[in-house]
Amino acid sequence: MERQAAPSSAPVSLGQEIAQLWAEYLDCEIGPEDDFFALGGNSLSGIKIIERVAQDYGVQLSVRDFYLAQTPARVAELIEQGRAGT
Amino acid sequence: MRLTPGPARDIDLDSVDLFDLDLYTSGDPHPIWDVMRAKAPLHHQVLPDGREFWSVTRHEDVCRVLGDHREFTSERGTTPTHVGVDDPAAGKLLTSTDPPRHTEVRRPLGSKLTARAVKSWEDSIRGTIQRFLEPALEGESFDLAERALLLPAMVTGPLLGIPEKDWEELVQLTAMVTAPSDPHFMVGHEAATLAISHHELVNYVTEWVKRRRAAGGEDDTLLAHLMSVRAGGVPLTDEEIALDGYSILLGANVTTPHTVSGTVQALIERPEQFEKAQADPSLIPDLVEEGLRWTSAACNFMRYAVDDVEIAGGTIPARAAVVAWIGSANRDESQFTDPHTFDITRSNAKRHVAFGFGPHFCIGAPLARMTLRIFFEELLQRFGSIELAGEPQHLRSYFIAGMTHLPIVAQKRKTP
Repeated sequence: MERQAAPSSAPVSLGQEIAQLWAEYLDCEIGPEDDFFALGGNSLSGIKIIERVAQDYGVQLSVRDFYLAQTPARVAELIEQGRAGT
Repeated sequence: MRLTPGPARDIDLDSVDLFDLDLYTSGDPHPIWDVMRAKAPLHHQVLPDGREFWSVTRHEDVCRVLGDHREFTSERGTTPTHVGVDDPAAGKLLTSTDPPRHTEVRRPLGSKLTARAVKSWEDSIRGTIQRFLEPALEGESFDLAERALLLPAMVTGPLLGIPEKDWEELVQLTAMVTAPSDPHFMVGHEAATLAISHHELVNYVTEWVKRRRAAGGEDDTLLAHLMSVRAGGVPLTDEEIALDGYSILLGANVTTPHTVSGTVQALIERPEQFEKAQADPSLIPDLVEEGLRWTSAACNFMRYAVDDVEIAGGTIPARAAVVAWIGSANRDESQFTDPHTFDITRSNAKRHVAFGFGPHFCIGAPLARMTLRIFFEELLQRFGSIELAGEPQHLRSYFIAGMTHLPIVAQKRKTP
């Protein structure tokens, strides 16, 4: 409940977890504010990452939201919203 | 891009940017390609970010690059969107695979798409085209380019096994792939648009395959056939099915509409050619070939040099990207007399490379040819005259030469 009032709802640690998850598929070190496309991300890595997020966090991300979010921190926010909204 | 080039202009080949999207949206690439064929048939360009590619523009060289997979491989990607960055789907996607693997997958698919095989669909395609053209004869402005985007889905949907409710979404997605920064199709920005469209198309085929498996039973559609293809005795993986299904959807949707609108535009601009075809319907197959040559909807394809290779009076270094400019090859004066003249009686129009050349020659060409023939048979039989009803707008793409808008007004033919 309190979380929803905060400007960014995702805890920092979740952003870091997502960055680590991305690193497995993008083959490089990644921080929470790094850009998916600048890291060489594409739809094939995106497909795998969205599948993993569904498995590990129980949240099915929208394809469009995922690519427009573009950083682990913002994807973490989407996961938080997904958890809160369902 | 303009299909009828404007006047020749001074062109500095050292500074020309062949990937400048404005050149295709509002510019005139033909005069540039004319100079390239004459003065620099092997051309080298470095992009602002340091990536490099070579270009061939002559008919003969384009055929060699597309035709010889030993010298020029497809396995690192074949569209210039990927220049300098190996295509992650290479080797899994039929279009990014060399023989012998390529032949094993292609042969069983191609057997469903031969001229003889597609002939059985002629009547149903004619019905579809009649329905498509009907609203154009209601006397009001009809945006042919915009409407034609849906035409291939109307024609191929039933053959592929795609239900009508999905056509519009799929057409939107395939258009996003070809012109990710065109304001008609862009979502967010270019890279996101490409990733979203690739992803959603692959997802679509994956879900389609799941539903098909769950339903069981027989199904004679092309996508179902893809599921049963055995290459070298082994079925395709689910990932290969999804990627090749994506590729088939893309190939079906993104080129034919532009050949339709570009050829109609050429006929509007040249009423004498329109009358000639109307007076003698046996010229329609030639009109179709000239339309394919003239529009060259697939503007180019890319290959990578395997080793250092001598071509067009120069050397392409090993592992370098080579773009084969189909749009230019189809206007090569050494092959086509007065190449910038649209002439439906041209005797050798069929030597165009609008469908590519060699092992990756368009697998859907017989279906496209038949669809275009029926389209112009129906159009010429029903339409007495066609006029422009507004400015044509061109697609923002260096990969697909096409239009987003071509408003026309047509009059019914009085004595059909």
